[in-house]
Amino acid sequence: MRSPHFLDRTFAVHDHQADRLPTHPLHSAAPAASQWTQLQEAVAAAPIRFLHGTTTLAFVFQHGIIVAVDSRASMGQYIGSGSVRKIIEINPYLLGTMAGGAADCSFWERYLGMRCRLYELEHKERISVAAASKLLANIVYRYKGMGLSMGTMIAGWDKTGPQLYYVDNDGTRLHGKRFSVGSGSTFAYGVLDQEYQWDMEPAAAAELGRRAVFHATHRDAFSGGYINVYHVRADGWVNLSHDDSGIAKFREYIGYERYVKKTAAITQERPREVEGEVREAQERMAI
Amino acid sequence: MHTTEPIVTGASVLGIQCVDGVVLGCDTLASYGSLARFQRVRRIVQPGADWVLGGGGEYSDLQEVARLLETMVTREYCQEDGVVRAPRAVHRYLARVMYQRRSRLDPLFNSLVLAGRGRFLGVVDMYGTAFESHVVATGFGSLLALPLLRKAWRPDMRMEEGAACVEHCLRVLFYRDCRALSSVQLARVPAEGAIEVSEPYELGELQWHVAQTVA
Amino acid sequence: MDRPLSHSSFLPPLFSSAPHPLSPPHSVPHPSAAPSVNAAERPARWSPYQDNGGTVVALAGRDYAIVAADTRFSVSFSIPTREFTKITQLTDRVVLASAGMGADRQYLHKMLHTRLAMYRHQHQRDMSLPAAAQMLSNTLYSRRFFPIYAFNVLGGIDSATGEGFVYGYDAIGSHEQLKVVCSGSGQAIVQPVLDQQFSGRQRYSVPDAERAPSLTLEQATALVRDAFASATERDIHTGDALEMWQITAAGVRQTRYELRKD
Repeated sequence: MRSPHFLDRTFAVHDHQADRLPTHPLHSAAPAASQWTQLQEAVAAAPIRFLHGTTTLAFVFQHGIIVAVDSRASMGQYIGSGSVRKIIEINPYLLGTMAGGAADCSFWERYLGMRCRLYELEHKERISVAAASKLLANIVYRYKGMGLSMGTMIAGWDKTGPQLYYVDNDGTRLHGKRFSVGSGSTFAYGVLDQEYQWDMEPAAAAELGRRAVFHATHRDAFSGGYINVYHVRADGWVNLSHDDSGIAKFREYIGYERYVKKTAAITQERPREVEGEVREAQERMAI
Repeated sequence: MHTTEPIVTGASVLGIQCVDGVVLGCDTLASYGSLARFQRVRRIVQPGADWVLGGGGEYSDLQEVARLLETMVTREYCQEDGVVRAPRAVHRYLARVMYQRRSRLDPLFNSLVLAGRGRFLGVVDMYGTAFESHVVATGFGSLLALPLLRKAWRPDMRMEEGAACVEHCLRVLFYRDCRALSSVQLARVPAEGAIEVSEPYELGELQWHVAQTVA
Repeated sequence: MDRPLSHSSFLPPLFSSAPHPLSPPHSVPHPSAAPSVNAAERPARWSPYQDNGGTVVALAGRDYAIVAADTRFSVSFSIPTREFTKITQLTDRVVLASAGMGADRQYLHKMLHTRLAMYRHQHQRDMSLPAAAQMLSNTLYSRRFFPIYAFNVLGGIDSATGEGFVYGYDAIGSHEQLKVVCSGSGQAIVQPVLDQQFSGRQRYSVPDAERAPSLTLEQATALVRDAFASATERDIHTGDALEMWQITAAGVRQTRYELRKD
């Protein structure tokens, strides 16, 4: 039963009117549900841009799960932020990743954290990754068709070992060993699938994650910034690294260092052989 | 039915804050598209003792706003505690009403100007934007009259001067705004004392001979 | 059966009945099932949104935070008023500035003050900076499907350490703790300059750890003034006056500087 006084509603947890439009006074500005189409048109026409764009990846291997992400968030052409934390720490044993709408991911994964905590209090044990990811999938499924945008991976370690799930705004929920999500995912998959091995050592696995995300930041305009890597272990996750994707180490991956050295040689010292090479190149281009 | 485009419309409302009160002015036309349909309508209403409301935009919506405020004033009266909303409170109330209607995608298509005792002058638009200002002009007046009012305004301005200034701006609007009329209404809201809303009257000494010199 | 807990007014409303097989049929159709008419064939609809422009900046140092905004209120090419404040003080240590649509801004500020008052009455103390930052995010997200057209920057000092922090937001509540942030119509002009001058970004020879802001309050104040003066030169929606709130352990101080009015 609902109390007529609005403040009492703050404590009415089992409110079966939850499906209806909220009547809470702080929700005063909501239009009627029948105006949905009109509302969506109005919102689409307004010059509001949300934070978007990403490369995220996660894979299961012998020693747990590596999660690696970039940190760029674009609003249209503008880089809204270069330092977004796209790995969301749901609790000490669960990680979520952020791709698609930044607000959707961070809000619902924070909410998921609350639900997982309530589960712990109720059942006196940690929630399984399967259950946590299903909670999230069920939540977003209720909002299906309303424009949520999220492609997320839920990674964690439970009684059954390391588990990795992919959940998106359609309500899709997949269990798997390797996932990459976001505009740069194709590039990341290329590197990941090439180098992945089940029995990697943690350091090599982390480096593979970093490398895959680096190549995505290199070729995908909507990915960039820093590369964050987490390792999910039996005793919870650890944050392994936070590197600027512009640093020299990554440039070695694409042979950039050697190229730079050579150009420097041409401009500064101009040794005879190099000068000859340049001349040859110029002649070739003239043809 | 929602108002998604205005049908019968009023044009600009002007206001200026003076040292001894506020002056509000507008013409008395309610246009039907480009037709000067209703030429003697009042766009300044005074539901309460302490403030007046001037409005442009959809005339039916303006009447709805006026009804709303009259109801509010009646309720205050029935309360019989002598407490009435101050002009600033009415202004805020109007802003909430306008914002709520726009958020229901069912806006009241008006620009409203509220002038009250204590030298209050504020605007509310159809989105619920509310602000107070020394000089105010809505509609086409925000393009044509606002710069004139801003230039004329002085902190030590008196109401006679303010009224002359508003009248001058209404005349300029009549010359250039096709939806404006020479029949106007002025409201004088002194800081203390009774509010005076004039009957509609004609702007005198219109000089059209200058029209030959402009393209 | 999964349903969002209903005790929170922060969850965005569901516009449809749940597609769950056990839930009773609902009179409101699912939004995706609504008949869609080609929008191009219809006359342009009235929009509930309006861009009133303006630029807001927040930056923070070791023992201070600055929140600044211009006061121009524009509607396309006209300026209905030159004195429309974008800033509101939330607590003794937290100040908010919002660019975007004027009416939505006023609504948001009013809503936040209501929620802060409710918090104060329940807890007998002011909300902390991180709590206020999260509440703003949740308030924005509660309107996920009808966004509040406001671009916020929040600044304040940590009540325990006295260190300044700022938070940047998108319209629906995505947020990040930062040291410097700019939003609004002058964002693309001002943000890169502040990144460079305040955070020391784009100087890759400097290690991350050494890029921490070291500007004094006075230097930062001068930087913000310059940034706004420059934005006013190139952005038509920014100008008239600059309102600046300086937040330190001693309290908040509000100052005002004139900007170009053309």
